[in-house]
Amino acid sequence: MIQFAQVSKRYPNGQDALRNVDLEIKSGEMAFLTGHSGAGKSTMLKLISLMERATSGQVIINGKNLNKVKRRKIPAVRRDIGMIFQDHRLLFDRSVFDNVALPLMIAGYDHREIGRRVRAALDKVGLLSKEKNTPIMLSGGEQQRVGIARAVVNKPPLLLADEPTGNLDPELSAEIMKLFEQFNQVGVSLLIASHDLSLLAQMHYRTLVMKEGRLVQDQIDDSPGINHGEEFHERDSDMGFFTKDGLDDLPDENLVGDSSGHHDEY
Amino acid sequence: MSIDSPSGASLNEGASLSARFKMLLRLHKIEAKRGLNDLLDNPFSNFMTVLVIAIALALPAGLQILLDNGKTLSQSWDGASRISLYLDITSSQSQTEQLAESLRKNPAVDRVNVIHPDQALKDFSARSGFADALAELDSNPLPPTLVIQPKATHTSPEISEQLLVEFKVLPGVEKAQLDLDWVRKLHALLELAEKAASALGLALGLAVLLIVGNTIRLSVQNRREEIEVVKLVGATDAFIRRPFLYTGFWYGLFAGVLCWLILEISLIWLDDPVTKLAGLYQSEFSINGLSLPQSLQLIGVSCGLGLLGSWLSVGRHIRNIEPR
Repeated sequence: MIQFAQVSKRYPNGQDALRNVDLEIKSGEMAFLTGHSGAGKSTMLKLISLMERATSGQVIINGKNLNKVKRRKIPAVRRDIGMIFQDHRLLFDRSVFDNVALPLMIAGYDHREIGRRVRAALDKVGLLSKEKNTPIMLSGGEQQRVGIARAVVNKPPLLLADEPTGNLDPELSAEIMKLFEQFNQVGVSLLIASHDLSLLAQMHYRTLVMKEGRLVQDQIDDSPGINHGEEFHERDSDMGFFTKDGLDDLPDENLVGDSSGHHDEY
Repeated sequence: MSIDSPSGASLNEGASLSARFKMLLRLHKIEAKRGLNDLLDNPFSNFMTVLVIAIALALPAGLQILLDNGKTLSQSWDGASRISLYLDITSSQSQTEQLAESLRKNPAVDRVNVIHPDQALKDFSARSGFADALAELDSNPLPPTLVIQPKATHTSPEISEQLLVEFKVLPGVEKAQLDLDWVRKLHALLELAEKAASALGLALGLAVLLIVGNTIRLSVQNRREEIEVVKLVGATDAFIRRPFLYTGFWYGLFAGVLCWLILEISLIWLDDPVTKLAGLYQSEFSINGLSLPQSLQLIGVSCGLGLLGSWLSVGRHIRNIEPR
């Protein structure tokens, strides 16, 4: 799903944000990206979402070499990536519904389809009753859940989150993480940048540690988590949002790592 | 909660072509409305913008209307190459009548009107508004005048000139004047004015583009954050451009209608004095306003300029905004 090959990024001001990073995140994998601020986490996410271009090396997302993506084709790449931000980046002059509908309107969906999908996404994050509110009327945690609904409403195969729990208290953070786990269980790949170490400690997922632009540690946690089948069978029942589109038919091993083209299926 | 839509499986290809088209229409409606609301959100400053555009358009359009009217006026007088003979001020009434009678026998002459000095003074003081001043005069300064209408076969400029020369030397004639002269001058003047109007129209059209472009630039800057967000969720430049184009279009439409109103009101205001002035020249002339096609043309041009100004501005400025 995500492949970095010898990727370096030097900003115009001379700062080396990434140095020769090699990385592979397989389809259906959920991984955390951590490190001090300035270690290169955000740069990594920006390269994936084409907010920045690599100075050297190859970034391949979903089989697409981003070096070869022309400016005009950037929107198409971004539609396959759901992005979640620390500051939510909602449009405050529009209702919650309209915010979540935005990616679908851009993709040109029929408005009934938009209504269905937006409500499904809002239901998933528990905000169905607030669709007519404007984001300003919501709490920080709720705003972040609107941001998540917007990121998943288009059903992208990949979710990127940049400090999604940065402004939230531990309880709300845990809720958000639970949502992420649920998306992951239906085959969505996630890369979550966070420096909330206590939160990471509770989650048992692959953790990539960055330091001064290098990937210094890549540790796959073997304790209960994504690799443990029983946990996601247990939760399958409440995954209506994604599963009806055929994701629940995927064989389990695809979820743990085999990237051999399963995204073609959805 | 479940979705059981048949198109659900087409995950990232988006929607079907017809659905896309329908959605596009809907989007256009939504964005036209949003563009309009943007305008109404800030009614005062936007009204100012619309007013400036309307005035910029009203100047060349108004000039064009006056020119059109000038043209019809000069055309209706083309054939009427009347010759005025101003007689010696000391000519007696009988001398005047005698001369008129002899002219009536001339085969080139159709009619001769005699305007006696008393009559001329009366008409002049009634129509010119100088009645009080004229009353102060000791004697009548106006000479007896013969207005000669040549036969229809003798109205071409060349023959008129010949007649003029012929009449000029008649005894008792102080001055002979061909009315065609000033018609010709009017023509030349109109031509000049037309060129000036075109130049003015071009310059002010450019000004309108700049006004709209600048207003849209500010509006793009104000919505920088929003543009970043929609870019992040995969919006194309075309998608982002659309509401701004609509805003430009609305500016143009409102300015066009306002410009039309300004012109109509000015014309109504001008109509009375113009009719009076025409009366002084024994003309039934009254000002022609904008016809329906002309009105539509005016509003169309205005909308087009709004759209174009916005188009020229928005593309460049959207390109510069990239999400951070």
